[in-house]
Amino acid sequence: MQWSVIFKREMMEYVRSIKWIWVPIVFFIFGIMDQITMYYLPKIIDATGGMPEGAEVNIPSPPPAEALFMSINEMNTLGILIIGLLSMSLIAGELKSGVYELVLSKPVKYANYVTAKWAALSTLVLASFFIGLLAGWYYTNILFGELAIDKFLVAFLVYGLYLLFFITIAIFVNTWFKRPGMVLFLSILLIIFVNIITSILGHFLTWSPGHISSYVSTYLFTGNITTEMWGTIGTTIVLIIGLLYAAVEVLKRKEL
Amino acid sequence: MFEINWALLAPLFIVEFILLAVALIDLIRIDETNGPKWVWAVICIFISILGPVLYFIFGRRP
Repeated sequence: MQWSVIFKREMMEYVRSIKWIWVPIVFFIFGIMDQITMYYLPKIIDATGGMPEGAEVNIPSPPPAEALFMSINEMNTLGILIIGLLSMSLIAGELKSGVYELVLSKPVKYANYVTAKWAALSTLVLASFFIGLLAGWYYTNILFGELAIDKFLVAFLVYGLYLLFFITIAIFVNTWFKRPGMVLFLSILLIIFVNIITSILGHFLTWSPGHISSYVSTYLFTGNITTEMWGTIGTTIVLIIGLLYAAVEVLKRKEL
Repeated sequence: MFEINWALLAPLFIVEFILLAVALIDLIRIDETNGPKWVWAVICIFISILGPVLYFIFGRRP
């Protein structure tokens, strides 16, 4: 009961701050931007003066799998940045402004507070990501050739898990600091750190969440889900639960 | 010049326009912003997509 009250309050807050309008729109634009640019690239080069005389450059039209992956690539950079900006003052802002004390002066369980906020942000982000990737998939079908819908669905589910992982990191960092800028910086630093570790020790850490985007890319081309991919999905879920638990524990021990 | 397929680009323009309209309506209705209102209006109108997004993230006061 209590959980759903906090969740609904958070949803109302997203409606009031118009996040429910602009976040889906921004993800929609991220989803289709690259496909459109790629499609018009030869014409853009022509219009801006063209190639020098005699230079013959053929820009091959990318296969559909690669075209859909461009949307995911866009989410990997700009999408992560937007999620970081959305989550930077989620709990930190309330710690700072004193709303947090107000909320917890009532008998609210820390676990309810953290998980409800996490679920609210996840709903917003996953819905927006779904819209963006769906648009990207639609444009891929129109411009670059057919791609089965199950590929889109699996890509959404698996990459969505990576976005959830990042949201969880951001929530975890939220419980440490009161300054939103610091939270944004640290959560992005942590996800970069995960990716760097994965690229250095990738041979050992085949189940690291940092592999998700490359596994999704491989899946889009081949169409089989490898055991490494299942392993990665498992680790990511475990890490999400662990980080949420840690966030609750940190918040409990926090002096106000 | 080359032919532009408007049916292809229409969704992008529509969505961009909605973003701008929502930002401007909100800017008119809101009591106070971080920094002067007219600056935000200029940013929203002249920087496409990024302008309204910057306003939503940094301009609105919680």
